[in-house]
Amino acid sequence: MKLAIKMAYRNLVGAGLRTWLNVIVLSFSFLVIIWMKGIITGWNHQAKVDMTNWEIGEGQYWQEGYDPHDPFTFTDSHAPVPEEFLGEIERGDMEPSLIAQGTIYPQGRLQSVMIRGIDPKQTIFMLPSYKLDTLVTGAIPSIIGSGMAKNLKVNVGDRVMVQWRDADGTFDASEIFITEIFTVSVPAVDQGQIYLSLDTLRSMLGLEGEATTLTYNNSEVTRPAVEGWVHKSKTELTSAVDELIKVKTAGTSILYIILITLAMLAIFDTQVLSIFRRQKEIGTYIALGYTRRQVVGLFTVEGTMYAVLAALLSAAYGLPFLAWQAKVGWTMPVDASEFGMAIAQTLYPVYSAGLVIGTVLIITTVTALVSYWPSRRIAKMNPTEALRGKIQ
Amino acid sequence: MLQNRHLVFRQQSGSGKTTMLNIIGSLDIPSAGEVTVLNHSIGSLTQKEAANLRKKSLGFIFQSYNLFGVHNVFENIEFPLLLLDYTAAERKKMVMEALEWLGLTDKIRSKPPQLSGGECQRVAIARAMVKKPSLVLADEPTANLDAANSHNILRSMEALNREFKTTFLFATHDDKVISYLRRKIFLDDGRIVNDELTGN
Repeated sequence: MKLAIKMAYRNLVGAGLRTWLNVIVLSFSFLVIIWMKGIITGWNHQAKVDMTNWEIGEGQYWQEGYDPHDPFTFTDSHAPVPEEFLGEIERGDMEPSLIAQGTIYPQGRLQSVMIRGIDPKQTIFMLPSYKLDTLVTGAIPSIIGSGMAKNLKVNVGDRVMVQWRDADGTFDASEIFITEIFTVSVPAVDQGQIYLSLDTLRSMLGLEGEATTLTYNNSEVTRPAVEGWVHKSKTELTSAVDELIKVKTAGTSILYIILITLAMLAIFDTQVLSIFRRQKEIGTYIALGYTRRQVVGLFTVEGTMYAVLAALLSAAYGLPFLAWQAKVGWTMPVDASEFGMAIAQTLYPVYSAGLVIGTVLIITTVTALVSYWPSRRIAKMNPTEALRGKIQ
Repeated sequence: MLQNRHLVFRQQSGSGKTTMLNIIGSLDIPSAGEVTVLNHSIGSLTQKEAANLRKKSLGFIFQSYNLFGVHNVFENIEFPLLLLDYTAAERKKMVMEALEWLGLTDKIRSKPPQLSGGECQRVAIARAMVKKPSLVLADEPTANLDAANSHNILRSMEALNREFKTTFLFATHDDKVISYLRRKIFLDDGRIVNDELTGN
């Protein structure tokens, strides 16, 4: 094996440009695959971190009737905050939120919104909720996301009419005053949402002491099951991201397969051509003491070495590129807020040792198989005909 | 076959000299009869045994040199030693000696395309001789060389034969080549018609 590696290395380096063309194509495949997988891993990581920081904390309790995908449930999905959780809420380790449906009228237009009430002093979400404590005359202080502000064409300091129904079904209306516009990559926190002070919303709806969801910041704490409330773990709440990543991974796999196939075609072609053109050399190896099986081994190692050299070349020019990308990220050329999923405008790829080693191992194994396939022909060669270079 | 001989098969083109050398070199097997080389019956050797025989005891010199084009002179001559259990230092010493025998020390880093025909054949001889085999098979070794180079090559082989007691077996129909050799076996249509021994 040692000799095969030594000879293969000499043969490849001696072959010059032909070797380097294959190696460059293959190294490009390595780099693109690692970078794209890194982007998807980074997206997965970023989406979950952003959801944790902005929407779901480390887990939630939902009032049993609440279904975020069915606005008709919002009117009735509220209940008094269970006594079991009052201590955690007092300490700031759990935040109640109240959710109601409403309508706003920006510049005379009508738009349905979800009104969320949160404690201005909360620290679980990254929302600038302290801005809800702003003193405003004749209007309710409110914060909204930048995507929502863009859709409504409103800015900080604007006033917008909002209408809602209280617990008794009576319509009421008031002006809200935009005290802050925040930027977030989680659409569920931004699109169609307006945030008011929890106490204000409770008062507007006539639902004192009630909440729709309870979000906690420590999943290690053991909590009792509470009737009327459904526990949602972080894993459940982020399962949609996992599903999306799975679909995206499957989609990008097609690109990986195309890239690897192109590289493998080049190597296969090179191997077939090598075996045809190097018949005399093959015959000479056998004359000098190689068995045919050893020559097959040599050609297979030679082909596999393309992957090894490509990995080294990728490391040489790819590591600085990948490190730079991890630092500055990849900014999408289109507005990410339009995508309807938790995706930041700039994605930061995340590379793991498993990703790099796995990619190298898979490509090297495929390369070894592709190299071995045409090399098997050598085992059937007649060495005397090979020496004459007469095999067709 | 006698050891320490410089002998030749003489026969017309296309009538089996190369086939005979290939059989003696265990690259081919006889379709009938028995061929024994260095106490090995060629027809009964497995592929691995035949490869072992070639690796340890036989050297080959080809008409078209058959050097590895992407390897330099040193690497070409070193190759047979890589197949045997020599250390890197031993290999270097043996290759350097072979280069000296054939006056190639100044070409050590050259690659075959940078060498003349005569130099290529000297490298091929060095490669065949570096492991000091018992038998060297040479198939038309001077066919691609001019008269001066042919003379030099044959003189070199003659000197190596005398110095290392290695048997050289040539296949040729060239009278100039034959005149350098001591035992001459004349073949006609596959049969020995004459066997001459001249000199020591």
